[in-house]
Amino acid sequence: MAELVIRIVGSPGDGVISSGDILTLAAARSGRYVSTYRSFPTEIRGVDQSLYQLRISSKKILTSADEVNVLIAYNERFLRDNISGLKKGGIIIFDSSENDNRFEEYKKFTKYFVPIKKLAEEFATERTKNMVALGVLLGLTPNFSINEQIKSDIRKKYETKEEEVIEANIQAFEKAYTWVRQNLEKEAFLEKLVIEPSGKKFVMSGCEAMALGALVAGCRFYSGYPITPATEIMELLAKEMPRLNGNVIQCEDEIASITAALGASFSGAKAMTATSGPGLSLMSEAIGLASMAELPIVIIDVQRGGPSTGLPTKTEQSDLNLAIYGTHGDTPKIVLAPINVEDSFYQTIKAFNYAEKYQVPVIILSDVSLGERRECIDYFDVKDIEVSNRLKPGKLCGKKAFSRYTQTYTGISPITCPGEKGGAYIATGLEHTESSAPSSKPHVHAAMTEKRFKKLETAQSEFISARKYGDDEAKFGIISWGSTSGPVLEAIDLADKQGYKIQALYPRIIYPFPTKWINDFLYNKEILLIVERNYCGQLANTLVYRCTCLNKDIKIHNLMKYNGEPFTTNEVFSKIDQIIKGQYLKFMVHQ
Amino acid sequence: MSPKTAEQYRSQTTPTWCKDCGDYKVLDALTAAMAKLELEPDDTVLTAGVGCASRLPFYTNTYGFHTVHGRALPAAIGTKVANKERTVISVGGDGDGFSIGGNHFIHASRKNPNITYIIMDNEIYALTKGQNSPTSHEDLLTKINPYEVVEDRINPVLMALSFNTSFIARGFCEDQEQLTDMIVQAIKHPGFAFVHVLSPCTQYNLKVTYDSLRKRIKQLPEDHDTSDRIISMKYAMTHEPLYMGIFYKDVRLTLHDKLEHLRGMSLDDIGNPSEYTIQDVMKQFE
Repeated sequence: MAELVIRIVGSPGDGVISSGDILTLAAARSGRYVSTYRSFPTEIRGVDQSLYQLRISSKKILTSADEVNVLIAYNERFLRDNISGLKKGGIIIFDSSENDNRFEEYKKFTKYFVPIKKLAEEFATERTKNMVALGVLLGLTPNFSINEQIKSDIRKKYETKEEEVIEANIQAFEKAYTWVRQNLEKEAFLEKLVIEPSGKKFVMSGCEAMALGALVAGCRFYSGYPITPATEIMELLAKEMPRLNGNVIQCEDEIASITAALGASFSGAKAMTATSGPGLSLMSEAIGLASMAELPIVIIDVQRGGPSTGLPTKTEQSDLNLAIYGTHGDTPKIVLAPINVEDSFYQTIKAFNYAEKYQVPVIILSDVSLGERRECIDYFDVKDIEVSNRLKPGKLCGKKAFSRYTQTYTGISPITCPGEKGGAYIATGLEHTESSAPSSKPHVHAAMTEKRFKKLETAQSEFISARKYGDDEAKFGIISWGSTSGPVLEAIDLADKQGYKIQALYPRIIYPFPTKWINDFLYNKEILLIVERNYCGQLANTLVYRCTCLNKDIKIHNLMKYNGEPFTTNEVFSKIDQIIKGQYLKFMVHQ
Repeated sequence: MSPKTAEQYRSQTTPTWCKDCGDYKVLDALTAAMAKLELEPDDTVLTAGVGCASRLPFYTNTYGFHTVHGRALPAAIGTKVANKERTVISVGGDGDGFSIGGNHFIHASRKNPNITYIIMDNEIYALTKGQNSPTSHEDLLTKINPYEVVEDRINPVLMALSFNTSFIARGFCEDQEQLTDMIVQAIKHPGFAFVHVLSPCTQYNLKVTYDSLRKRIKQLPEDHDTSDRIISMKYAMTHEPLYMGIFYKDVRLTLHDKLEHLRGMSLDDIGNPSEYTIQDVMKQFE
């Protein structure tokens, strides 16, 4: 597997994110797999760094990697901050326009001091220095051959700007490329590097993948309130939904957003809203309404650091309890957690299918690191994707009032929408009889609660089991959820090289809680490590409470991270190593 | 379709309202208006929040969405946007509409969806057995305000005028003919139509009775100019007398008009293809 990992760091205004985006798109369009990690300051113009990390590979990848081959830095401070992330023998490209430090103390690296800003001024304008940086990078990696894609992506990225600006950027890129070929000494690794392309791909961010998944699933109504980091979903839908005969409306708050979406669902449309933690808190009451009135709806939560306003641009997996337990009353719902961008697309389609089929709210838990990173999805034909719709009644006579909440074997009752003759009913948040009349009679509440939960039982019988990775015989198990699963699976590969046999389970359906799958998984395990990005061990608490009673001898370890950053593969591996070396040498299986 | 009577819009469900509640009369006027307009029950949607008045959808045979407290309007907007051929009417009380759901009124006025909003104002939280509401008189003492009331009341019609709600009227539930006509006009109005109805509670607010209201109300002059927002505001300013009738009417683009307009623009933007599908959307990510 050939690959290249690049990190670009600079201040806001250096164009770090734009150049990273352009390189990502170009690499993906040329048929390579990519995975990215972006981080930028909360303040629009803060003093913090903007960072873009991009891993380009000939094979499918699970993370944007821990260490990089190439570090492009626009200033000394950020170079120093990031040098620990550069692989031994890696390459530094430093903007020496205003800084002649030669960093003699960095001995293990190849250093290029390129006056990026000055070259930009010479080739076009100062603002194009990010394109000069791209030109320098690609000039050093001649076998990449993506110059044409870069140029077309520059054009796309700046399509709203004047032609002059676009031309300046293209010029800066091309001239920098030529300048490097003529003036810079070649670097052997980069000069020879070949990353084979492997067929057509889509490339998109996690948020875009969810927006597209919604459109593919048939979503034609979206209502939302702006919130970082979920707004990108609304942006794409606002652009495309009208063209597909759907509607997007901006609401005054998250409560209105979800209630409007429920109104649309009641009206017969597949409807969605998206938010982040603070918004999900506000939506809790209406999620209960969806459960009670049995209206399909999809709610995306792109998690950020909490509680309260927390860390709007930093990642965390701390809304699990809110998603599972957050609504008052006994509230049937489904919670899904995609693990990467491709999964974000397919899980969103599933979310709609489950919502429509079982008439329940479905919450998707993404997070900042997953929502914002760009990755490839293997090309597919939209026509091959299975889409479910809600259960319609048979012929309605119209003489007798429609009984909306009829008890059935599956718990699923036929549903009508306004305009359907003979189908009139009242969708209500009050407890109600089968014919939707309010009722607080004991037997009605008991029977209807059971009916609503019956749907989850039906759903569970149709779910395909959670995915596993690694050897079934392994005695060491890891359970993770959501975007944490990428580093976990890569850590298992690293562990395998050390001779450690480990198996991971990463359920994408988090609620109804996958008790059976986890118990089956734990059956032959002696050590369990639960990995998640929150302080309280939100998955671990539910899991230990529900699942470990079948295997009382199991030793349980937790690995939690709660500093706003995603896990690195090495962090997960170190924990594995520590557990095994510390106490359980017997788990070394081959040496 | 043969003409319908008001009774033909009623469901089998018996209202839980107290004897002599004003809301019965609002239900009568609303169903009479529906009969006049010959609305198809299956093409009509009532949305409501929570409260005595919000129970109204259960007592008609139309589609209904009885949501949570305060959320009748966003639910109605979502319903209407997704199913634009339907007639959508929101109903509720003063607490539901002006307290917990107050914010939605402002933004519904900004969006101007083609829906009707009927508020049955009894100046009290009645379903919870008598607490001060945002329209309660400052002198009304209740168990949760046993000594004195510290908040001023709001003025719903003046508020609506300041938000430029596109149709604003006030009626009295006892004046059936006027109220029915008002609701007919509100439903016919292309845009967000607000009907403020005085509808007394005979159990928990004994200071607001049919008699006391009868003494307070006064009709707007016959030649009132419903296009003049400033004059309308002058009539709306007073609590005594309370002017009745249609205050203001402004026919402008509705939410639906605007959504269709932007749909046109979104297609212009890509050169009006004869067909545009999800496959075309995916192309930009290839």
